[in-house]
Amino acid sequence: MTALTHSLSPARAVTFLFTSAAVISLIGLADALYLTVEHLSGRSVRCTVISGCSEVLSSPYATIKGIPLAGIGAIAYFVVFSLATLAAFGNRAAIKLMLLVLAAMFITTLWLVYLQAFVIRHFCQFCLLSAAVTVTLTVLSLLGYRFAAKT
Amino acid sequence: MKRILPILIILVVLGGAAAATAWYVKKSNPPVPATPSAAGATANAQPASDTSAPSGAKEAGAVPPHAQGPENAPVTLEEFGDFQCPPCGMLHPVLKQMESEFGPKLRIIFREFPLVPTHEHALAAARAAEAAGLQGKFWEMHDILYENQKAWHDVFDIRPVFEGYATKIGLDLDRYRRDLSSNTVEQRIFLDGKRGHALNVSGTPTVFLNGKEIPFESLAPDKLRVLIQNASNGK
Repeated sequence: MTALTHSLSPARAVTFLFTSAAVISLIGLADALYLTVEHLSGRSVRCTVISGCSEVLSSPYATIKGIPLAGIGAIAYFVVFSLATLAAFGNRAAIKLMLLVLAAMFITTLWLVYLQAFVIRHFCQFCLLSAAVTVTLTVLSLLGYRFAAKT
Repeated sequence: MKRILPILIILVVLGGAAAATAWYVKKSNPPVPATPSAAGATANAQPASDTSAPSGAKEAGAVPPHAQGPENAPVTLEEFGDFQCPPCGMLHPVLKQMESEFGPKLRIIFREFPLVPTHEHALAAARAAEAAGLQGKFWEMHDILYENQKAWHDVFDIRPVFEGYATKIGLDLDRYRRDLSSNTVEQRIFLDGKRGHALNVSGTPTVFLNGKEIPFESLAPDKLRVLIQNASNGK
């Protein structure tokens, strides 16, 4: 990824990185929407052959004051998608705002992975996918920010 | 155009996400099919003319099923459960409550559906309950397993724990040990699982009321009470 972006001009690298971020945030959005629907329908609270998901999604950490955390995640991914799209079209303010949103998402992700590993002691692959997406988005946006500074 | 295009893309994605969510919600909540229930509950099955019955109805499950309540009760609940599944443990007192409230109007059938490998002791628990069933004490073991679920959920060596329960409910321990690995026990678990798969059971607890699957969110006491009441009134 870095080699590819270095072969591009800084402006093109910014476009490439934020376009990639926008596409990847759609994966996070789909994942979070799926989990939200499953949560609201009650299905995620059941035990299934998909190991760990029911334990994680039926835990008290899956909601904040009755609101599914996945739903908040879906909104966050949509915000990141919107900001990444604006950034890909050259909006500088969107880049800074995106970094702020992703910083909050990254910290939340670390906390959720910690909860899965040490408190709930089960991993849900949909939650892990979301964590991977957030980490990838953070890396892409940091790289994008770096290239944007050069333009 | 360069200013409008990103806004357009964002709006298109927003609309697409909303449409996809609505489609998924609709797809995953199809009209509940009428399904003739277990062998022991055929008295309560849907009319024979109902052609919407899935093929799973052909799988009878273990015969006779573990059932509480009269065979001619107007309402039959058939639960596919896993003794190590926490939501099944939470449903246990709810079903007990319904049983005491509705008495002879309600028949409850339990089907083994151990989720392996999600729950490491689920199969051992199913075997323990079935082995107890061979001594006529399935429900005693069923109850003790659910009521103590949190105590044995994370135990490493489960055998002595279940043997302790077997002793407590008055089983012949030597016979219980022999029965644990018997063909009869294995066969009952297999047949219940086969019935569950044929009925598209994908998780636990899954409960059928007179052959119709109840959405998980309707298993809360207040909602379940209304469903049983309506079914017993023939609504």
